[in-house]
Amino acid sequence: MSLKYFTIEERLNANAWDVDVHRPHIKIVDPERCRKCEKKPCALMCPARCYVRQGDYVVLSTEACVECGTCRVVCPHGNINWNYPRSGMGIWYRFT
Amino acid sequence: MKFDVVIVGAGPAGLAAAYKLASAGFKVVVLERGREPGAKELYGGRIYAYWLDKYLPEFRKDAPVDRWVRRERVSFLTEDKALTIETAVVEKEKTSFVVPLVSFVSWMAKLAQNAGAKIITETPVDVLVKDEKGRVTGVQSGPDVLQADYVVDAEGVNRLLLERAGIVKKLEPEQVAVGVKEVLKFENKKTLEERLGLDEDEGLAWAIAGYPTEYLPGGGFIYTYKDALALGVVVYMRNWEKLKTPVYDLVEKLRLHPYMAPLVKGASLQEYGGHMTPVAGINMAPPRFYYDGLLIAGDAAGFLLHTGVLIRGVDFAVASGVLAAEAIKEARSPSAEDLAVYKKKLRSSFILPQLEKFRKADRLLSDESLFRDLALLSTEAAYSYFNIDENHRTLFEAVREASKKTGISLVNLIINMIKMVRNL
Repeated sequence: MSLKYFTIEERLNANAWDVDVHRPHIKIVDPERCRKCEKKPCALMCPARCYVRQGDYVVLSTEACVECGTCRVVCPHGNINWNYPRSGMGIWYRFT
Repeated sequence: MKFDVVIVGAGPAGLAAAYKLASAGFKVVVLERGREPGAKELYGGRIYAYWLDKYLPEFRKDAPVDRWVRRERVSFLTEDKALTIETAVVEKEKTSFVVPLVSFVSWMAKLAQNAGAKIITETPVDVLVKDEKGRVTGVQSGPDVLQADYVVDAEGVNRLLLERAGIVKKLEPEQVAVGVKEVLKFENKKTLEERLGLDEDEGLAWAIAGYPTEYLPGGGFIYTYKDALALGVVVYMRNWEKLKTPVYDLVEKLRLHPYMAPLVKGASLQEYGGHMTPVAGINMAPPRFYYDGLLIAGDAAGFLLHTGVLIRGVDFAVASGVLAAEAIKEARSPSAEDLAVYKKKLRSSFILPQLEKFRKADRLLSDESLFRDLALLSTEAAYSYFNIDENHRTLFEAVREASKKTGISLVNLIINMIKMVRNL
């Protein structure tokens, strides 16, 4: 059985979005703390792959965030400033 | 503008409260951050009907239902083996159903609106507004403050408002799981029915332990919509350190597993999402469910019962919303003293007694060895029993052989099984 693997980008592209490009709703408080964070659970646990390891740092892009709040809960250093996107923006589930 | 009641969140809990209060003549507004009710909501896929019949019997008349669940499957899955148990009822029972949550809550939203409730979408609430005595008097969204005699907090599992109000601490990884889900659509609903052996309106609920979570606490699930499958994986957050595959790829690994792939072949991906879910139930409840001017309902209150295979959120949410509405109707004032009637109602309903009954479930389900041992040993023993070679094994021999091969002690397993059958 050879089925095609859907990359996370392909999967996220199936969704409807209204992205707030002007104001990311999540911010890393202090990138230095991420650098010192050995295990970086955000990169493992985020369902939308918003957090990507780059060397010792973590790069955050919030455009395809599904607004679950997992990153904030798993971050061992309280290093994530988390808000909901403004007025209706962000993910728009229609079939789940 | 002043309302009698402001409700935060147009989910099952908030809309149930809105419907009942508006029906009783209260001036009610529901604030929803999404484009429409349900736009930000995600669940596994199934709603239990028993308590809805008591708290929201209107659903039998015209609520959307994709399929009534008449088959329950539980699988233990490993890289190369599976053991599946299935129960089925021939009678056309209507005890639980599968439907997209967004469809169900948009039905609830219409019900509430027809009763006179106002729903304002695209409005995330930032904080609960309190007066100088600490009484909740409204909510704030951006620069706007909305005053009300009563506030019902039905904000969901990610309870930022309760946290900002100092009522609860930040969620701990021990209290929640993260779920990822794909909606896989078939061109023809017959394909789905034939693959799963289902009758026309018949539905299947399927829980899969072991492989989907790399043998960590949690599991995979499948629910059957009308012409689509919900396929997902839930991982307890406390165990993240043991996880090797990122959460977003676990669901794809499950879809492509040789046991699953033939079922989903040809289906196209309609939607992908992720959400947190409470797993600690009553152990993550706020110190109280009522405060001056404030009631807490649904996931925000920890009103979700998770016992491994059975997961009930929507019936708890709807019932707690209805009880919050009843409490407000009966209270003479918004004081905590008068709103304490909500706690009494929760106690005499199924909500608190059932959550209390399964108080130990989350600790037991967090036991890492449980899932690994059960999945590995049961699949191996079944394989050994059904595999005829020079030896034709008794069931006991098959289990003993599996224990030897996997290195899993039978004594430990039996102790775990006893804990499970008593507590789950």
